[in-house]
Amino acid sequence: MEHQALTHPQSVAPMRSRRSLSPTARAWFFLSPSMLFLGVLIAASLLVLRMSVGTKGAEWSGFSLASYGQLLEPYYLKSLLLTLRLALISAVIAVLLAIPVAYTMSRLASPLLRRVFLAAVLLPLLVNLLLQSYGWLVILGPAGMLNQALIGLGLIKRPIMLLYNQNGVLMGLVQTAFPLAVLPIASAMRGVARSYEEAAATLGASRFQVFRQVVLPMSLPGIITGATLVFAYNASSFVVPLLLGGRRVPMLAVMVHDQIAPLMNWPAASAAGVVLIVTTLLIMTLSEYFTGRRRRMLEASQ
Amino acid sequence: MSVSSNKRQALLPGETGRVAGLLSAFILLLAVLPILTMIVMSFSGAANLDFPPSSYSLQWYRAAWHTFVSPDASDVLSLGQAMGTSLLVACLTMIFATLIAVPAAYALTRCEFRGKAVALQLMSLPLVFPMVVLGLALLLVFDSLPFQMTTSRLVIAHVILALPFVVKNCTAAMLGIGSEVEEAARMLGATPRRAIVDVVVPLMKSGILAGMLLAFIVSFNEFTVTYFLYTIDVMTVPIWMYSRTVSSLDPTVFSFAVLIVLIDFVLIWALEKLVGEGGVSF
Repeated sequence: MEHQALTHPQSVAPMRSRRSLSPTARAWFFLSPSMLFLGVLIAASLLVLRMSVGTKGAEWSGFSLASYGQLLEPYYLKSLLLTLRLALISAVIAVLLAIPVAYTMSRLASPLLRRVFLAAVLLPLLVNLLLQSYGWLVILGPAGMLNQALIGLGLIKRPIMLLYNQNGVLMGLVQTAFPLAVLPIASAMRGVARSYEEAAATLGASRFQVFRQVVLPMSLPGIITGATLVFAYNASSFVVPLLLGGRRVPMLAVMVHDQIAPLMNWPAASAAGVVLIVTTLLIMTLSEYFTGRRRRMLEASQ
Repeated sequence: MSVSSNKRQALLPGETGRVAGLLSAFILLLAVLPILTMIVMSFSGAANLDFPPSSYSLQWYRAAWHTFVSPDASDVLSLGQAMGTSLLVACLTMIFATLIAVPAAYALTRCEFRGKAVALQLMSLPLVFPMVVLGLALLLVFDSLPFQMTTSRLVIAHVILALPFVVKNCTAAMLGIGSEVEEAARMLGATPRRAIVDVVVPLMKSGILAGMLLAFIVSFNEFTVTYFLYTIDVMTVPIWMYSRTVSSLDPTVFSFAVLIVLIDFVLIWALEKLVGEGGVSF
């Protein structure tokens, strides 16, 4: 091994081997296998874009904007608005619930508790959505847990309908996307050094004031990221509205599938899909812009 | 909580009080409530879906076991076959995603190059890309190919979905190593490739393992994209369960579900042990 190094003295000098590629070429060489897979994703989305301006029957040769025009019909427009509204409400609720959890998680001292908390956050994110929806079916059913609890508390006399309407779907959306809010907020709060909190407390701030006026503003980029992730995830949610909404809560993703499976209308499905992509990218770009600006402000003030 | 053993000492700033702790625990309980409900239901002795069950028994586990060993003729595919497909796809996804993510993570942490911002954005694209559109798009691609792909198209889809998780974990592991280790290896005469393969990769083993576990979990639990891409003779466990319950929910499904949740929980627990709490990156 030693004499091998001696016979190749040029390899000793770092960064200047004989057949060295330019750093850019070398980096893209390392990235090329992943880019191959991501290329499939991009090529596939371009196909969807092409398909969305096709016509039914002549998907690849025709050109018409009929599928987009169809999206402006009241039925589809209502579905789009419903999707955006549910995604927005679920993002707000998920973030409000995530803030105390994230704060507790970022300040837990016991390693075991930290692991239990993290496992409880990761389970809803990683366990198959189908299974979690089955759980919701039991909770929300007419004789389910929630109805019995409400009757037991004397709030309602007869079971109320929670399944197959927007309330049930909303609960499912909040629960399944909840981890996406907790994780970025917790990591932002972990980044707020304790010395800031101590300084604020020394200056006479109450515990709530410290949280409200120091921790919360400093972790705002994480909060925005969390809200964005939940919004984007839920805007294209498929399993939850399919199982908990039946066919009565037609969110956009369910419509995309319905256009293919019973109707075989590929252009219509693709047009709805393009709307989903554009919505997602738009919201991500906006959030990137705001968190970027906020982060720069925070950095400048430190 | 830990300070309460001392005399009535005030909480230090930066420590969470009992109220905040309890509130968080309650919210987290709500977050896992559907999973807990399902576990309780699987032990139900009744034939309906009332909660809490009027009696408890192992009848659904017996029924589930019966389904597993002697599949009904009405099922298009047995659970055993579906389980086999699921495990095969998950393992292949894990292997491929890791093999392509490690060099990518190296490029993203160690190299300064043109287009890095674009590469970073692309890497997290599958995380935010609408799953339904991904399913639709891949279905368009695979259907227009002149040859048939069945299992392999599921693997390709799952690798795309798992890639961001694996890359993030490998990147985090690589950032923790520091480039001086690699430089030292180079000084001692190692070629650039040997420095990476023999020094850097072994050091980031736990990050790679965490990424592999995540890839496995993501693939094993994936439903939406697979729902677009499965064929009648190649389906994964989640699809099998859905096709079984599409008309009515029968409680044997809960026993299968408990098994899957158990597998997930063990994997997640192992994942946390591997990378330390708070070390899992998304």
